[in-house]
Amino acid sequence: MLRNKIEKFLLSVQKPSRYIGGEAGSIVKDKSKIDVRFAFCFPDTYDIGMSHLGMKILYSLINERENYWCERVFAPAEDFEAIMRENDIPLYGLESLEPITDFDFIGFTMQYELSYTNVLNMLDLAHIPVFARDRGGELSQIIVAGGPCVCNPEPLADFFDLFILGEGEEVNLELMDLYLRHKKSGSTKHEFLKDAAQIQGIYVPMFYHFHYGENGIIESMETSDGVPEIVHKRIIKDFDKVYYPDNFVVPFTEIVHDRASVEVLRGCIRGCRFCQAGFIYRPFREKTTDTVCRETQALCENTGYDEVSLASLSTSDHSEIDTMLTRLIDYTEGEHINLSLPSMRVDNFSESLLEKIKRVRKSGLTFAAEGGTQRLRDVMNKNVTEEEIMNTCRIAFQGGYSNVKLYFMMGLPTETDEDIVGIAELAQRVVDLYYSIENRPKGRGVQVSVSTATFVPKPFTPFEFEPQDTRAEIERKQKLLVDSIKTKKIKVSWHDPNVSILEAVLAKGDRRLCEVIYTAWRKGCKFDSWSEYYKFDLWQEAFAECGVDMAFYANRRFEYDEILPWDHLDYYVSKEFFIRENKKARQAETTQNCRLKCAGCGVSKCIGGKCFD
Amino acid sequence: MIKLRAVFEKSGRAKYISHLDLNRCMLRVFRRSKLPVWYTEGFNPHPYFSFALALSLGFDSKCEILDFSLNEELPFDEVRGRLNDVLPEGMRILSVSEPKMKITEIAKAEYSIVLSSENAEELLDKISLLIDSSEILVEKKTKKGVKTIDLKPFIEILNIEKDNDKVLLQMRLPAGTQTNYNPTLFLEALKNTENAAFEAENICRTGILCENNDIFL
Repeated sequence: MLRNKIEKFLLSVQKPSRYIGGEAGSIVKDKSKIDVRFAFCFPDTYDIGMSHLGMKILYSLINERENYWCERVFAPAEDFEAIMRENDIPLYGLESLEPITDFDFIGFTMQYELSYTNVLNMLDLAHIPVFARDRGGELSQIIVAGGPCVCNPEPLADFFDLFILGEGEEVNLELMDLYLRHKKSGSTKHEFLKDAAQIQGIYVPMFYHFHYGENGIIESMETSDGVPEIVHKRIIKDFDKVYYPDNFVVPFTEIVHDRASVEVLRGCIRGCRFCQAGFIYRPFREKTTDTVCRETQALCENTGYDEVSLASLSTSDHSEIDTMLTRLIDYTEGEHINLSLPSMRVDNFSESLLEKIKRVRKSGLTFAAEGGTQRLRDVMNKNVTEEEIMNTCRIAFQGGYSNVKLYFMMGLPTETDEDIVGIAELAQRVVDLYYSIENRPKGRGVQVSVSTATFVPKPFTPFEFEPQDTRAEIERKQKLLVDSIKTKKIKVSWHDPNVSILEAVLAKGDRRLCEVIYTAWRKGCKFDSWSEYYKFDLWQEAFAECGVDMAFYANRRFEYDEILPWDHLDYYVSKEFFIRENKKARQAETTQNCRLKCAGCGVSKCIGGKCFD
Repeated sequence: MIKLRAVFEKSGRAKYISHLDLNRCMLRVFRRSKLPVWYTEGFNPHPYFSFALALSLGFDSKCEILDFSLNEELPFDEVRGRLNDVLPEGMRILSVSEPKMKITEIAKAEYSIVLSSENAEELLDKISLLIDSSEILVEKKTKKGVKTIDLKPFIEILNIEKDNDKVLLQMRLPAGTQTNYNPTLFLEALKNTENAAFEAENICRTGILCENNDIFL
């Protein structure tokens, strides 16, 4: 029995409770009564994957169906992986402790590009051939993926049987229902995939064929087997009524986000031009205060968590935020529960809101200013003025905060040295502001942390056409920033540019990257998002061996009329809109948020009219 | 405030819950149970509870002690039932009662150990040899460093028997606030001095006792 084999080694690994399941809230079913088994895989370790909200939603959703069983699968950490390989322990589901080769679906959620090699590694650990073409024609072990990265799934196309575009609450069950029908009638995998491709939101890459020109750019794409030319993503129309779990699996070991989490809204009205999430999750939809409060209470009661956070891209954009927080705080305070509010925006950070937050948490404040100058903030449509940033900092300082974290991006389109120096100057003005306030926290100095990320152009954003700065340029700008800072009260940190480069390549890549990812993995690349495991030199070798140029994807401007690798996938925000926004960005012209004025991005057509009344 | 003492077992998947994680787990168990648990007063109120004796990661137990307090009196069986409804797989409350003894009265713990070996006969001999020797020396890691201790005066062997390819071993060792010896120390001594080849298949704590061998309640 696999379980005995696993248990034999568990005491020799770090945090063994990650590998044995049995947590409160985990669902174990009698497999003799199960028609379809789904292995929900997160391509990173338990500690990270268990923090992911999407998995919790789909896990519960599938398990609501009596004859379907969804289990969790994570990437083992290095120590346990070595043991698994040495002792022939295949990758298994945490609920049944059975190999995932026994499952009907093996589904990965693709949250970040740097988890791609982990997918290959996990398939390999499961003893499953990593290339779809090597897996045979029988109807079993359908390998699927969803999540934000599959808006451009081409770099993964050779490894997966199908991709699920958009929100999964409905389409996952439709897909499983279809599978069950095919299983009963004894179909082949090909027959199933052909039918699956007719479901809205399902993209079966083997039916889409690309031709490249001599310059390396896509020349044409053709389809076969009668599949749709364009695959539209799925959205949930009535978001307030959508399924939401009333229980989570509560881990024993500490995980990154160890708390209950309630989704308050989906989509974003802001339209920051670098932000993929801001476009691919459109349209903006919110839950009513009643629903949020009900779901919060159910989750806290059933999990026993004493902390709950509100999840969204921008919680303060909820139309009833004040009422909602008042009601939530009434509940959480009475129950000794901490309420945490990530994703709050600078510009609508009111005094009364801060008062409320102060009652519930004492941690630091983080503001995403993104750009050092107003001009650059206008370019990226980050509709935040310096006055608003200063105002918010003033309120925070007066409220007793002395630590502020400011996020910036470097390497944005049209950026000049002035914009970089502007980051240092803005941070300096925040420091000066602190000392100008009379009722600032007594006896404490101010600490301004400036965290800079390198701009990564992403599909389905107005900046999808943009080239990324070269490494030399990024490093020069980083040095310029450090040299521009005159005080120890400002601390600067940044991301490794080599990581951002690979992110850009994988984000904007096409099918020719499949071989590169495979080669990099064969060379030993995995856990690329962990700095201690990231091996850029091996990636460079892999690119060289495959004859693929990183600069072609990362540093080349994609033309407006070029066929982009993701042009056949429709997230309802039109390419014309992205082009329009890109042109406006070059003029440093802003676009108002969706609530103030519809910018005509195209998404409203999928909900039959207007996003806002 | 009503003080209560629960005896619970921890086995199966639950034996991989570390002591630190068990604390977090119980916090959530109490919250899920909606029992009127007594909260500490202070800056960060939390349900008050404590475990009498930490259990090593990977050990089974039939006798773990959990002390906690309620704000109101409830039938013991109801408290037990409500906790069992929300405990994770492998953990089960066996009894709830008023505490009769002080934690400091804990003096020993009893263990049942299953060893497997390719040559159980030989293993049995080696164990007997070690037990009968004049001293059982083993290195113990403490906060201050490594020191050599002699288990001989402390260990009480209750039973040794062979069962096919396994050797079953029952012993008592000092436990509690003063001296705490883990049965793995004996297994280490066995490995070192007698050069025995075996695998510890299962270690189960079967009793927490006072100095006079009364069961701690």
